[in-house]
Amino acid sequence: MLRSPLVLIVALVTVWFIATFLIFPNATLLIGTFFPDGQLSFRAFEKLVSSERAMNSLWHSFLLAGTLAVTVNVVGIFIVLVTDYFAIRGARILWLGYATTLIYGGIVLAAGYNFIYGRYGFVTNAVGNWFPDIDRDWFSGYFAVVVVMTLATTTNHMLFLGSSLAKIDYQTIEAARNMGAGTLRILWRIVLPALRPMIFAVTVLTFLTGLGALTAPIVLGGTDFQTVAPMILTFSKSSSSQDLAALLAIILGLATIVLLAMMNRAEKSGVYFSVAKVATPLQKQKIPNRVTNGVVHVLAYALFVVYATPVLLIVLFSFLDSTAILRGMITWDALTLDNYATVFGTPSVLRPFIVSVVYSALASAIVVLGMLFVARVLQKYRNPVTGLLEYLLHIPWILPTILIALALVMTFDRPQALVGGQVLTGTTSLLLLAYIIVKIPFTLRLLKAAFASVPESLEDAARILGAGSMFTLRKVLFPLVIPTAAAITALNFNSLLDDYDAAVFLYHPLYQPLGIAIKASTEGENNLDSMSITFVYTVLLMIIMGLAMYLVYGRSGAATRRARRRASRN
Amino acid sequence: MNKRTITASSFALALLSTVVLTSCSAETDTAASGDATGTLIVYTNSNSDGRGEWITEQASAAGLDIEIVGLGGADLANRIVAEKNNPVGDVVFGLNNMFFETLKAEEAVSAYTPAWSGEVDSTAGDAEDGVFWPLVEQAIVMAYDTNTVSAADAPTEIADLWDGDQYTGNYEVNTALGQATPQLVLAGLLAPYADEDGDLGISDDGWDQVQAYFGHGSPAVEGTDLYARLIRGEVDFGVIPSSGITSRDTEYGTVTGVISPEDGVPYVTEQIAVINGTPRQEQAEEFIDWFGSSDVQGQFAAKFAAYPVNTEARAQALPAVVELIESLPKQDIDWALTREHIGEWVEKTELEYLP
Amino acid sequence: MIRFDHIEVRFGEHTAIPELNLEVKQGEFFTLLGPSGCGKTTALRTLAGFIEPTKGEIYIDGQAATKLPSEKRSVGMVFQNYALFPSMSVWENIAFGLKVRKTKKMQTGALVAEIAGQVELTSEQLSKNVSELSGGQQQRVAIARALVLKPRILLLDEPLSNLDAKLRVQLREQLKNLQRELGITTVYVTHDQEEALTMSDRIAVFNHGVVEQVGTPEEIYNRSSTEFVCTFVGAMNKLSGEVVQRLQRGGGTALHPNKASYLRLEKVSLQPPANAADSIRLEGTVAERAYHGAHSTYTIDCSGSMIRALVPEGGAAPLAPGSRAELHIDPSSILQY
Repeated sequence: MLRSPLVLIVALVTVWFIATFLIFPNATLLIGTFFPDGQLSFRAFEKLVSSERAMNSLWHSFLLAGTLAVTVNVVGIFIVLVTDYFAIRGARILWLGYATTLIYGGIVLAAGYNFIYGRYGFVTNAVGNWFPDIDRDWFSGYFAVVVVMTLATTTNHMLFLGSSLAKIDYQTIEAARNMGAGTLRILWRIVLPALRPMIFAVTVLTFLTGLGALTAPIVLGGTDFQTVAPMILTFSKSSSSQDLAALLAIILGLATIVLLAMMNRAEKSGVYFSVAKVATPLQKQKIPNRVTNGVVHVLAYALFVVYATPVLLIVLFSFLDSTAILRGMITWDALTLDNYATVFGTPSVLRPFIVSVVYSALASAIVVLGMLFVARVLQKYRNPVTGLLEYLLHIPWILPTILIALALVMTFDRPQALVGGQVLTGTTSLLLLAYIIVKIPFTLRLLKAAFASVPESLEDAARILGAGSMFTLRKVLFPLVIPTAAAITALNFNSLLDDYDAAVFLYHPLYQPLGIAIKASTEGENNLDSMSITFVYTVLLMIIMGLAMYLVYGRSGAATRRARRRASRN
Repeated sequence: MNKRTITASSFALALLSTVVLTSCSAETDTAASGDATGTLIVYTNSNSDGRGEWITEQASAAGLDIEIVGLGGADLANRIVAEKNNPVGDVVFGLNNMFFETLKAEEAVSAYTPAWSGEVDSTAGDAEDGVFWPLVEQAIVMAYDTNTVSAADAPTEIADLWDGDQYTGNYEVNTALGQATPQLVLAGLLAPYADEDGDLGISDDGWDQVQAYFGHGSPAVEGTDLYARLIRGEVDFGVIPSSGITSRDTEYGTVTGVISPEDGVPYVTEQIAVINGTPRQEQAEEFIDWFGSSDVQGQFAAKFAAYPVNTEARAQALPAVVELIESLPKQDIDWALTREHIGEWVEKTELEYLP
Repeated sequence: MIRFDHIEVRFGEHTAIPELNLEVKQGEFFTLLGPSGCGKTTALRTLAGFIEPTKGEIYIDGQAATKLPSEKRSVGMVFQNYALFPSMSVWENIAFGLKVRKTKKMQTGALVAEIAGQVELTSEQLSKNVSELSGGQQQRVAIARALVLKPRILLLDEPLSNLDAKLRVQLREQLKNLQRELGITTVYVTHDQEEALTMSDRIAVFNHGVVEQVGTPEEIYNRSSTEFVCTFVGAMNKLSGEVVQRLQRGGGTALHPNKASYLRLEKVSLQPPANAADSIRLEGTVAERAYHGAHSTYTIDCSGSMIRALVPEGGAAPLAPGSRAELHIDPSSILQY
């Protein structure tokens, strides 16, 4: 494998990157925290084990991750089925409703749900008017967190499971129906097994999201259901407690890696490749049973309402003054443009937007481009060395972003031979690097899955026709994984746009990114409109993110529709 | 090497160079490149509510070219410590004495005696070494709305809130211990119980207080202001820094009363210092001399309802602010002890006492 | 033209091909025949340069080619699933190899048009996306793509296996004609013995990574050198020991009663042959008759042993099940192993 110059260079760059940016800084930081006097300290471990609260939070995080792995799959598969598999009236509208989670998240999403179902939420108020005895705190704790996070994390299902579904050979479904299989049996025995590799991949992502849950438990968890992420955040900000933060994060990270390894194994034993030479495009299935059909329609639209309301509310709230929002009383005269005036009245309000758009776009493009090569090499050459490299590339999943950022600042605050004797602290490049680093695992996982779905014979064919590995990669393989790569780029872009954790330590004073600007404009003891201003920024972010998604999906969606039309004419 | 190999190699090299080049090109606008001229980078956690813009404007009028970098207190302190080998900022102000003690211990700030040193009470800053100097004072108070709770019904000691079940769930506790104000509350709670033999320098009674405080309180709701909770009757009491009261009373129509315990309330003093290792030492000192002067502090106090430490500037402060601050006795807090242990206290509280 | 010289292929612990020695002549249509997993595709992929043998040498045109990368071996290949590039049009697929070689645009156009004509692809089809073509059309694209570079050797990996029966027969002939026209040395992999027999100049029968027999279709069919070859290629009667003993008593003295004995269906005659002296007569009852149009297959019960016979239609009146039948067997046509 080392004969190919491409592989050699990719290997060298990868090893250099891992050593310089993943291992060296983090190892320095971790050794500093766990070996304070050159001796291994079990302090952190002992502290955690003896803390009932820490153990509870940890248990809650795992409980949440485990629950979500189930519930998100149920809801996620349901919405993919109703938008792409079953013939449901208004499926495109439904898709748009479900897709709202693509363009917002975090505190705003949790707050949005809280404003609807929380103690002072609309629904609670409305029901309370009829039934005054209702428990106004019904929407809190484990239940509420699971509901909100389930709805919020179906994004990956929509994007990646949806595209896998489109690749199923329709003839297999026709064949099954021909043999008398009912809708449910076809779904269970034919469709879902074909989706299994992608279901595994998104389950890992869901599990990870559940373990790292931060805002939803803070807003909705109440005292009964707090998770470990807020604790990690607090501890990682205090130098004397960083060992606890690191230890907790490592526990979560290792759990993810174990799951990953299990999934990898399961993936190997049960990958279903399409064996047909001519795959027939999927046609939407009618649900034959009228009652079932009705129930599915009702469920689909109910879910649509649940998904869409918080978004509409956030847009509405961005036009309301804070007091009205907090009192839950919305009247016509509470509508105002003041929040927008405040945001746009801030001097150089556009600058953070531009800074963040440039950083996010650069970082997402670089990480996807780089991982295209890495994923390809890892997928093609499987041996213990590449296996190790792959696991090392998941380091950013094990450590919280804050610690990664801290490690970078402290490592590159002096000339380092590994980066050619440069000092990176205080430069604009360090934040870019951090963004690239934190997006590596997600990008790698999904790109590897994308490469795995490309039949090997295509490469052989290109090779025997004389194409070199680079030519093959560029002309044959990349076009096939470009849809996935574009989706990943857009997702990375969206998630980096309002980053705060990495930026806080790394941003260059003259290039303030959006996350910092939002935080600054919503902080302050006398800033009473912080929530409204957050909503304004959220609406602006939604517009940018929506645009990014449109660039990826609006256009490629149009392309697939064209292709389908063409195919159906045949 | 054939043509294809060259294409392949150059493509992968492009990848490598992207990373390296960005760092090279970025080098030109590095704030800490040893350039003694250029914009002065001012780190602060006190830039919100338009303060940052105001200071930049005023400084510019005074001929000082500054760039404000605003971050939350704990984040800012961490950032300065992390950057200490290659500082990006030149001056820091606004952090409280606790954070400044940390910066001093980490040698992230360096000593400078400002021109206005005689106009402030040096014990409010770093009396010993003169590394950091006080600007503004604030009280951290337990507030309530006198429209719902009359001053006569309010407890006289804060501890009454969790002594017994009368007020259980009726006062807000902020559990985000990574932030500055909740840390100060914790420091205030523990201060009377300093005990060399106790756990982390605090007697068991002190820890019982912390447990009771958090155990009986209602955790703050992320994204919901204390006063919003006060007016809808969710809680009746809550902690707030004194400078935030005036604007809230206007906004929510409340009339704030504060509990004034016999032993006083925690006061925090915001400080200013030069960041150690800045190439713009001279400009930094110039900025400090300007910003801490009685004139600028007076204007600042009048504009942002602050209570300046500079005695000559106090005349310009708002009367309501002066009245409130002067009515509240200052709690005696051992800041050296607090700085030494606050990390551990937060950790212990987080692990054992938070709800 | 092509020579496998002591080739061994191992994947870790598993030995796919223990030792392979084969020679393919210039212009020959050579088939690797065998059941799935017998190593025939491995041999083909080794020849294509996708698999590096653990031992031995492959010679192409007398030159050692084992270390040559596949693109330097001047081989064209048609894959089992065609491996057409889904992101490109039909024209782009065919022109791919030319583009890699930086062929001038004019020339590329001419070459693509020429080969498209040979495989009967219309210019309208050339502009389509590959996913819009039918299976048979896709197969032509795959062949055109492999041939446009004018390779010395064409490799075909079960190219007909996923097509329907009628199309398969049709394409079989077209493929054979094309090969004959171009005179290109072809190595064809299939598990279908009928395909192998009808198309090949010579066949190598594979089993468990070992070549059991190499020969012309007639040699393979009539003079199968191993029990595996004779049972794998064409339909066979396996004769029971009792039947063999009866034949031995009837005059087939050269027969060995303890060996496995096989007899082709068409070698069993229900009518006395012209030179009756060479054949031995057995008697039985018709158990079943299967009508195939041009011929029928009878299953005859010879006192407990079932013997099948292939009989052309249009001769004597058909025998009904239950009626008596005479079997005439030439002992020299019995294969014993």
